[in-house]
Amino acid sequence: MVNLTIDDKQVSVPKDATIFDAAKAAGIRIPILCHDKKLHPFGGCRMCLVEVEQMKGRQIPACTTPVTEGMIVRTQTDDIIKARRMVLELLLLKHPIDCPVCDAAGDCDLQNLTYEYKVNSNRFQDEKFSHSIDYENPLIERDMNRCIHCGKCARICDEIVSFGAYTFISRGIEAKMGTQFDGPLNCEFCGSCVSVCPVGALISRPFKFKARWWALDKVKTVCSYCSTGCNLTLGVKDNKVLTTIYDENQGWHNGQLCVRGRFGYQIASSDKRLTTPLIRKNGKLEAASWDEALTLVAQNLKKAGAAAAGLVTPRLTNEELYLFKKLFKDALGSDSIDHSAGYAHSALTAGAAESLGYPASSATIADIQKADLLLVVKSDAYETHPVIGFEINLGVKRKDVDLRIVSDKKGKLTKLPKAVTYLHKPGCEVSLLNALAKTIIDENLVDAAFTGGVAGLDLLKKGLEGYTPEKVADACGIKADAIKTLARDYAKAGKAVILLPIGLGYPGHGKELAQAVINLSLLTGKIGKEGCGVLIMAEKNNSQGAVDLGLYPTAGGKDAGAIIDGCAAGTVKALYLAGENPLVSYPNQQKIAAALAKVEFLVVQDLFLTETAAKAHVVLPACSFAEKDGTYTSVERRVQRVNRAIKPMGLAKSDFDILNALYTALTGNAAYANLAEAFTAITAAVPAYKGLTLQGLGENGVVVHTPSKPKFVAVAGAAPRAEEGKFALLTGSALYHCGTMSLHGEGPMHVCPEGYLELGREDAKALKLEGDELLTVTSATGSVKLKAKIGLRMPQGVVFAPYHFAAQPINSVTAGDAVTLVTISR
Amino acid sequence: MFTPVPLIKGLLITLKHLFMKPVTLQYPDEKVAPFPRFRGLHALNVSHNRSKCVACYLCPTVCPAKCITVEAAEDDKHDKYASKYEIDLLRCIFCGYCVDACPVDALKMTSAYELASYKRDDFVFTQERLLDKR
Repeated sequence: MVNLTIDDKQVSVPKDATIFDAAKAAGIRIPILCHDKKLHPFGGCRMCLVEVEQMKGRQIPACTTPVTEGMIVRTQTDDIIKARRMVLELLLLKHPIDCPVCDAAGDCDLQNLTYEYKVNSNRFQDEKFSHSIDYENPLIERDMNRCIHCGKCARICDEIVSFGAYTFISRGIEAKMGTQFDGPLNCEFCGSCVSVCPVGALISRPFKFKARWWALDKVKTVCSYCSTGCNLTLGVKDNKVLTTIYDENQGWHNGQLCVRGRFGYQIASSDKRLTTPLIRKNGKLEAASWDEALTLVAQNLKKAGAAAAGLVTPRLTNEELYLFKKLFKDALGSDSIDHSAGYAHSALTAGAAESLGYPASSATIADIQKADLLLVVKSDAYETHPVIGFEINLGVKRKDVDLRIVSDKKGKLTKLPKAVTYLHKPGCEVSLLNALAKTIIDENLVDAAFTGGVAGLDLLKKGLEGYTPEKVADACGIKADAIKTLARDYAKAGKAVILLPIGLGYPGHGKELAQAVINLSLLTGKIGKEGCGVLIMAEKNNSQGAVDLGLYPTAGGKDAGAIIDGCAAGTVKALYLAGENPLVSYPNQQKIAAALAKVEFLVVQDLFLTETAAKAHVVLPACSFAEKDGTYTSVERRVQRVNRAIKPMGLAKSDFDILNALYTALTGNAAYANLAEAFTAITAAVPAYKGLTLQGLGENGVVVHTPSKPKFVAVAGAAPRAEEGKFALLTGSALYHCGTMSLHGEGPMHVCPEGYLELGREDAKALKLEGDELLTVTSATGSVKLKAKIGLRMPQGVVFAPYHFAAQPINSVTAGDAVTLVTISR
Repeated sequence: MFTPVPLIKGLLITLKHLFMKPVTLQYPDEKVAPFPRFRGLHALNVSHNRSKCVACYLCPTVCPAKCITVEAAEDDKHDKYASKYEIDLLRCIFCGYCVDACPVDALKMTSAYELASYKRDDFVFTQERLLDKR
């Protein structure tokens, strides 16, 4: 620690702190334009000038000067104020003072400082800039005339997002923040640059001219797309969510968001939302009252009794999921409930539950940056969880984390500096991980002290016998030496985390893969310690909550697959779908459609009239995350509070209210009087959540842990499927979407409006493709027409398609296998 | 004891006033000419055949009676303009803060004070009615 004096205040700060950090710690505000706490110091704006007694007469920037022992700093002398006013005068010389029409006004650092330092006139005179404004893209408007050259956009894009869309171009007075060849912006559109821009040079187009900053109510809540659990501040006006607001002090991710979180908020106030219950009359869905709809649903559910089944989306809050389970178990006596098609979370519900003793990840997101080595299974970890991807970027670039990727295709992560990618044939992840485990055992790299306390090592050794690197090498297309090197590096790394994304688009990422991954970390003892463990990244905002609360059959009931079969066979009499859209997101669309058409009574409770809801007998309008209170559990088991920002749309009710009303209709009593009571019931029933209180969760939530009972489970890897002349189709998540809900967010749809088939250059050449031709993809299950997208990511013979899109349903060719063999024709 | 003196004094005053110029005006036949800085009905200044208002929202922000509704929109040239500008005169207290706040001199207050109407709706002045058409 270093001791210094700032404005007569004594402070003690770590030796790597700057004067700016020290002042912040002492509660002294130093004005600054080019600083964000997530970024490296820049020293570009010269607003943070201070005087240090030891460097008499010189004014030095606080943000780039490290502290030294005994420093005496003054931040508010007359000379400094004079200097800062001159800095502002010079900035205002070129800045078009168009505050009345600039969306940043009110939240503009330059405006605030100009006001604070009373810069009313300017001693200098010059012409303003006349750069052309970039209106080309639908999300980010770039007006470089307003730019003050703080460089924050370029730095955040490079340091955290690792995209590098911006850089300063030209020199001297002509210098400006430019893009590739000074053309229009073409990037990931995460909007990080917009969030850090201190002025209005970069603004959000969906929010352009919608409201002034001071008129917005700021409501802190949690994002409802992926399971990263990013905290979010919604800007609300007149009962409408108009934007998301950046707060560098919010959450562990310091306010950093991805394209879905930042620009996909329109689901809350969309015109397309359901606003009234609908009942099918004479084959058509017609508006009805809540009484009518609920009575009809209750009647039919009662009639079905134990033959009723429910599929629920893990986007609901913990309280709602728990109530859903209670409704089926207590009121209907049915155990046939499931979520996310059953398979999407089997890595947690079956894999981790058996191997670790609890159905959750052992690592937290903070472990990523603390690790020495990071093993990512599938490069898709960036696409499914972009903000965790930013953590990986930061780990690799700042903490020198050794990044290894085992993947069937390349991706953004494989482009990171020093990242090593092991590109394998599709569908042989388990064999490959088994070969790694086998190498670790054979080369005696096992952490004997740790594995001594873990059951099943002998069984594992036996199970791994057939998985020598040499044997696996041929099947998976990676050299045996490479497999051995990876195994050695992983075993020898001091701390290592394994990341495994799972979800509806990844049928291969199930129980076996999770257990193979956990075996690896158990063998080397890299679990249960800081910077070590396995992070199984489930898909949706409350996936971990659904798993923790046991939203799957536990007493012999039907799982999702059996429920669909039961609908087709007539053993399921009534199907209750809460937020699920199986017609688009479950594999084998034809089978799902046939099953849904057969079931006697179908209720869909959703935000929008989804493809599935359009087939229902009764549709109940539910509330989005912005309209309700409750809790979500993120991927690292952080239980966080969701806060209501707006009133429900039209007659829509929160899922909690709907389920509670149904429970009352079926049993005569309400299940819970309020959310708090439901939360208390959860804490009593779920051991991991014991002792939590709603108030105790605070703003940042609480990470819950459970003691581990690890055990080795030998798993068998499937042989990769291949056929001459056929392509291996992989499904998954596109960077801009999450599930099927983001299709109703305008931001993501501006950038990625339709499905596509991504294929490599060699294959495109062989098929004589030039650009975005329409291709017919055919499998044994069915066929679909998709636009071609030629890129550098896909190896030869492998194609990729995102599963989100209803208009181009890739699930009409899939049948729930990790890899689907398809033929492609024009 | 009764003395007629106060009564006579009073009657004299009355008599005097009979021959003085009246202080009341015969409204509506006669009308008061307002002072130059009188704050009457608002008007939106016009430039290039459209309102000068850039929809900066400063007037609804400063308005103590919350009687101004503005909605901004983007025009063909990507510029900001007021797609809706309404003043609810039933709420307006004619303080003139809106005129003070306007950064582009788009709003002024005229001398019009005859603002009575038969219907409540007629007191909501839309942008079209507020435009200074001279």
